[in-house]
Amino acid sequence: MSSIPLTHILFVSTALFFIGMYGLFTRRNMITMLMSVELILNSVNINFVAFNKYLYPDKLDGIFFSLFIITIAAAEAAVAIAIIINLYRSHHSIDVEDATEMKY
Amino acid sequence: MNAIILSAILGVILMFSGIFVTSKTAIRNIATAGMALLLLVNIAEQGGFHLFNVNTHNMLVFSKFGLLFNSIAFSATLLFFLVSAKDITNVGINAAEYFALIFFISCGIAIVSSFNSLLLLFLGIEIISIPLYILTGSDKRNLKSNEASLKYFLMGSFSTGIMLLGIALVYGAKASFSMEQMHSSINAGRNAWFYAGLLLVLISMLFKVSAAPFHFWTPDVYDGAPTVFTSFMATIVKAGVFIALVRLFDMSFVGSGYDWQLIIAIVTAATLFIGNITAIFQQSVKRMLAYSSIAQAGFMLFGVFSQNDFSREGIILYTLGYSLATIGIFAVLIKMKDYTFEGFNGLARTEPVLAATTTIFLLSLAGIPLTIGFFAKYFMLASAVKSGSHLWLVIFAILCAAISVYYYFRVIQSMYFKTGLAETEPVTPVFRWLLAGMAAAVIILGIFPNLVLQYLYF
Amino acid sequence: MNLFFLQNAVSASSAVNYLPIALQVLCAAGFVALTLGISPFLGPNRKTAEKLETYESGIHSVGNARQPVAIKYFLVAILFVLFDVEVIFFYPYAVNFRELGWNGFLAVLMFVGFFVCGFYYIIKKGALQWED
Repeated sequence: MSSIPLTHILFVSTALFFIGMYGLFTRRNMITMLMSVELILNSVNINFVAFNKYLYPDKLDGIFFSLFIITIAAAEAAVAIAIIINLYRSHHSIDVEDATEMKY
Repeated sequence: MNAIILSAILGVILMFSGIFVTSKTAIRNIATAGMALLLLVNIAEQGGFHLFNVNTHNMLVFSKFGLLFNSIAFSATLLFFLVSAKDITNVGINAAEYFALIFFISCGIAIVSSFNSLLLLFLGIEIISIPLYILTGSDKRNLKSNEASLKYFLMGSFSTGIMLLGIALVYGAKASFSMEQMHSSINAGRNAWFYAGLLLVLISMLFKVSAAPFHFWTPDVYDGAPTVFTSFMATIVKAGVFIALVRLFDMSFVGSGYDWQLIIAIVTAATLFIGNITAIFQQSVKRMLAYSSIAQAGFMLFGVFSQNDFSREGIILYTLGYSLATIGIFAVLIKMKDYTFEGFNGLARTEPVLAATTTIFLLSLAGIPLTIGFFAKYFMLASAVKSGSHLWLVIFAILCAAISVYYYFRVIQSMYFKTGLAETEPVTPVFRWLLAGMAAAVIILGIFPNLVLQYLYF
Repeated sequence: MNLFFLQNAVSASSAVNYLPIALQVLCAAGFVALTLGISPFLGPNRKTAEKLETYESGIHSVGNARQPVAIKYFLVAILFVLFDVEVIFFYPYAVNFRELGWNGFLAVLMFVGFFVCGFYYIIKKGALQWED
């Protein structure tokens, strides 16, 4: 059984990237938007690992990069949750449409 | 290397001083002394003295340019601490943590000023961004601050995603993150990936420096953040990301045979135009300064555009001049009770020193001769002329600089020629002396710019 | 119709490898549909109040599941995520810790040192305290 070609994996990761982007643009719930951001970051992880495995299997550069992305994503999520909790305390809502203090 | 490790350690020390030290004055002193130590150690490294011997496997390369930039950024931060440390501690209850986050940001700036691998570029940018999201939202009771930090986070993480996709494509094309590999001819067949990846990285960096088509977050974030941190974000952090952009360009785009100059020219023109035009219509000085920082970013983009000796000197001078002037203006702005233009009416009578120094800073931002802002703008434009292409951009930039005079002079006009009682918080004599010293530095460096530039060459 | 798609898949040379997966998906979906569809007809159907409860003969459910919980849960959850994910940096070290030798050990020790600093910090800040 021959292996899966690289383009298939790139297709999946690109699809995930744009699903994340779509979610970020259309959803108005902050938690969903945060999830979309995570989706974007993780689709790039797939990209890195696939490139590493298929094109340059002798060095592990791409995989290490994805390790760093995972940790940075966790840090970003922690900060985002903190911001969202703070907003919830003042607005009693996690809908971004309700955060309109700066519209003028 | 000295600066990177020491700033991380100092950040941790300040984190713990928030637990064990209760007096806010002591925390301020620790932070200021720490920043002074950081500056000293970095100057020592410029002279060839290394505290730590770390094998970075060529992921970081410490050039004269990067180290000089570090020194300037750290001295600007030190000045920032000296004039507004008290306001930092007044933002909220976690005084020491704010300083700790600023030290972590300094660590990120030291990384991006000398990265040699896209991995370190990504890490540096994130080390700068994540503490900034927190600093933006640090005024927890203020709705505007919360919203600004949410907006900043969404925009910032989105642009991070774009940058990562770009780095992934570059890696797919070149098999490495090292900047030296960028021009190697391996996998020439994958050049499409390479160019697409570089463009994506460029777009995300333009996001971070708030260049024109990607500037929409800037006014809101700068307006919503506590004013002290706006001052820090608009000056030192922005300059740090610019240095990363210049380094990235220097080593990847230049010589890649790709027509990138046109893209940068268009972005520069759009940034100058939008920043200056919208700044005219603002009613609040804080928001005006946010738009003016977009406009100044347009001038700093010349350093990316032309990539020669002039532009390198220019961006160092620009960083220094712009940081000095903007930190000074913000320091005065924090003391004001009313942030609108009317709030400045008659400041010259109530606080003559503040009004005079603010005038000098504004003149420097507008690029009037005898101030450092003039030479900074001159070097930037000269570099573009020297590079020879797209001369229309230079003419356009001069026109925009002329427009900028209008809104800077509006502040001067309301300070000197309008009647009113500008209300300020109580101001200490030390604060007045510091501002006067900064204004003197702006003028002295405006007459002898070589005092700084000589360090680039030996 | 299904057969037509399968034949198409066979004719494309690279996609032929997915045939087993497609068959498995079909089998799984078919099994679920079959059992769900057939079960109402097989047994007697008597709807009593007891039968219609969410957990038949279990503990009675109390209140709504979507009510706010204490903010401390979130704090602990965030801290857990952070500390959990940082462990990822041990993987590269674990893979070749023999080759890295004492230098690598010292580097990891430094990493753990920063880690413990953070842990000490959150304890001192009272982030893990449940009682007010």
